[in-house]
Amino acid sequence: MAIYSAIGSSITRGEGPDKVTGKSLYAADITLPGMLWGKALRSPFPHARIVSLDTSRARAVPGVRAVITAADLPDSLVGRRLRDMPVLARGVVRFAGEKVAAVAADDPAAAEEALLLIDVEYEELPPIFDAAAAMSPGAPALHPAMSSYEGLPQPPSGINNVFAHITWGQGDVAQGFAEADLVFEHSFNAQLMHQAYIEPHACLVSAEPSGKAQVWVNNKDPYALREQLAAVWGLPEERIVLHPCSIGGDFGGKGSFMDAPLCYYLSLHSGRPVKMVMDYIQELMAANPRHPAVMTIKSGVKRDGALVARQARVVFDSGAYGAFKPTVYLRGADHLCGVYRIPHARIDSYMVYTNNVPKGHMRSPAKPQVVFAVESHTDLIAREMGLDPYEFRRINLLRDGDSSPVGHQWREIRADETLRRAAQSAGWDTPKPAKPGTLTGRGLAITDLSQGVGRFAARVSIGASGRPKLHMAFWDTGTGSHTVLRQMVAQELSVPVDEVDIELLDTSEMPFSSGSGGTRVTYTAGQAVVGAARELRRQLIRAAAPLLDSPEEDVSLHSGRVVVGPSPQRPAYYRTIAIGEVAAHAPAANHGEAGIVAEYEFASEPPDVTSFCAQAAEVEIDPETGAITVTRFVTAHDVGAILNPLLHQGQVEGGVIQGLGYALMEELQTEDGHISTLSFGDYKIPTSADIPPLTTVLVEGASGPAPYRSKGIGESANIPVAAAIANAVTDAIGAPITNLPLTAEKAMTAIKNRESGN
Amino acid sequence: MVKLKINGTEREAQAPAQRLLLDFLRYDLGLTGAKEGCGVGVCGACTVLVDGELFASCLTLAAAIEGAEVTTIEGIADQGRLHPVQQAFIDHGGFQCGICTPGQIIAAKALLDFNPQPTEDEIKQWMMGNLCRCTGYYGIINSVAAAARNTRNNAPRQPTDD
Repeated sequence: MAIYSAIGSSITRGEGPDKVTGKSLYAADITLPGMLWGKALRSPFPHARIVSLDTSRARAVPGVRAVITAADLPDSLVGRRLRDMPVLARGVVRFAGEKVAAVAADDPAAAEEALLLIDVEYEELPPIFDAAAAMSPGAPALHPAMSSYEGLPQPPSGINNVFAHITWGQGDVAQGFAEADLVFEHSFNAQLMHQAYIEPHACLVSAEPSGKAQVWVNNKDPYALREQLAAVWGLPEERIVLHPCSIGGDFGGKGSFMDAPLCYYLSLHSGRPVKMVMDYIQELMAANPRHPAVMTIKSGVKRDGALVARQARVVFDSGAYGAFKPTVYLRGADHLCGVYRIPHARIDSYMVYTNNVPKGHMRSPAKPQVVFAVESHTDLIAREMGLDPYEFRRINLLRDGDSSPVGHQWREIRADETLRRAAQSAGWDTPKPAKPGTLTGRGLAITDLSQGVGRFAARVSIGASGRPKLHMAFWDTGTGSHTVLRQMVAQELSVPVDEVDIELLDTSEMPFSSGSGGTRVTYTAGQAVVGAARELRRQLIRAAAPLLDSPEEDVSLHSGRVVVGPSPQRPAYYRTIAIGEVAAHAPAANHGEAGIVAEYEFASEPPDVTSFCAQAAEVEIDPETGAITVTRFVTAHDVGAILNPLLHQGQVEGGVIQGLGYALMEELQTEDGHISTLSFGDYKIPTSADIPPLTTVLVEGASGPAPYRSKGIGESANIPVAAAIANAVTDAIGAPITNLPLTAEKAMTAIKNRESGN
Repeated sequence: MVKLKINGTEREAQAPAQRLLLDFLRYDLGLTGAKEGCGVGVCGACTVLVDGELFASCLTLAAAIEGAEVTTIEGIADQGRLHPVQQAFIDHGGFQCGICTPGQIIAAKALLDFNPQPTEDEIKQWMMGNLCRCTGYYGIINSVAAAARNTRNNAPRQPTDD
């Protein structure tokens, strides 16, 4: 049966049949005639001077077509905004895993063999692995030319190795602390984490004799990447074409250029298309993982529990470069004071160079780190004051009319209701389940996340077939966005969703679009698609009116037809025409075929509403081993209209389990600057056997800024998970663990310290 | 020369002795459905069936299984009609980005071939060898359970004596 109520239905994905049969093409699946394989040689040292580089033996390997080093490249730097990274190391390496040379060969084995024959002489330099140490005045400056880099958000702060010092706040914290009856201070650490998309970075670049570059890459921000590539390659943007491909998981990690700049030079030097695919060892060693953070929060509280002042500081270890951050700093650090009414607040965030792997974005950048800190801090204050953590939060939660600690004036603040619904669902007011021989605990956490902004272009066309087609240069990262956008077209044109097609275009065929990320797609791409579909509807009606011999105002769209009638409620229209027939009468508009085409661009403004997410965890801890099991998890979301319940729930569930991995098990461990967890055997992510019973609570009825009053859902569920679980662990043990992940070993230490009264 | 029966068809190609089954499929035969994730047999994205058994094709030498019957994701649908596991993954949110999906579907099919009515716990234990970063596994478990139900409902009737 045809589905006309496109919005709000669990429409299955249009790409579904291709994805379940293996037909979908990902970047690593694409080949071109004459294609070579590119491989990069990486530095074994975290900090060293390159004394000499000899590639002559590598060039002699049969099948090798190009061997390049920094000497073969223009002396320019690359970055998503801050341009501080060389395509290949020039004179110095700043992390273990940095690329120093590259080879293109007929097959991967020849390329690997050639890499082994490149002779590099290094002179080791003293490395800095600790961000706080890097900030001390005596530490060596890792980027002496920092102030000359393009893309710094503001002039360097003068603090050693700090390339971004960003502050947020309101009021006067000194005055706030003077008004406080009690002051609490706690410090927290969050670990280095990998996005763990299953698909490694891959790219295929063909530098054509015409001067054009054709690029296939699993990058979710094709237009932004085109700008970055144009800048480093010294090519005009219109000579670079990025082609669509399926992306095998993103979670923030697939926005960076990775090997694409290098791959072009291999293609240029070999005269052939070149494909580079990272293996997973390289992924874990040298991609763009989530920032580790060291955080301190000090709060001033009145005796009645009201917060009056909060001063917070976060130091992010950016690693060797800042090039993988589209905003250079992490905007999410503005959540370090939480979702509370605090008249006097200040956040200082520092982005610091070290000799560790360069970091990038991961799902809601900075927020899981800082929300772990502030929500743990919230529980520790409540415990120390003898207050229930839920009640303490309710005293201070933002309400309508309040200004957030960093000065946001949201309307329709539903923090209290969202937290109440999470607590209720978790049975907060009932006794904890007692299980003999185990420690049990419950914890809560809350955050908010507003929609990110961006710019999108959408085109909708209709031809004689009567099937509307949405055209975009926007690749899906797995969220199902293409299906949701097709639903919008279906809704606006009053046709079944399965009659709406999507055509993915390359970047030369459409104006700029922001990529997927920042919970912006439903909001911003959605408005572009709805705008284009509405424009097409207007044109259809305009074209149909004379065919139906009726004035435009009497004509409307209904069930795939243009109809004449006073109201859609009338059982029958006295004259109708199929939309395809209207299109067939239109002049050639779309690649020479008869039809109607409408295009719309939309640039979003930061919305005046946010979206809250409150979660509750219940844990069991084995006091003999410290093993922590999450026995129950509740996630409550402040949502508007839900456009596709199946896809919406998928984002919630995936987000929660990524948060669970962050909370309990995942950590890229390092030894002297070398990452030692180099496979999924060592870097453990959750499996199907690790997931807890999950209850999702949808607090509906908000008026979101996205089409049909919806809100985005891509990031929020992964943010408070670690905090909720940490608070449950603290509740179970009676003492906190302040550094992630919450391993059995740390739980045992906390239990022993608690028993011995430390 | 390596010769294998792949999805019911005899296939052969020139390949060096150390060629992995995954590379043989992807690069020598152009069957790119099986994916390389971790490359060390942990993530399950490269899972295929070899004579009906689950194999990590990234750890298997093509030459070592000479003559075997290999089933890949490309061979699961029956003349264009999706296998019940494939349809269930579409209907119940069993995938998002789709990169692990070929392996997940092969593993789920093997489970149902071996145990047509698994409990939820059996599904969770069996599917442990296939990592997914998108779904949090809830949709995968629902999909496998639904495929088991649908397979049961669509099973051919047993002949009855009347």
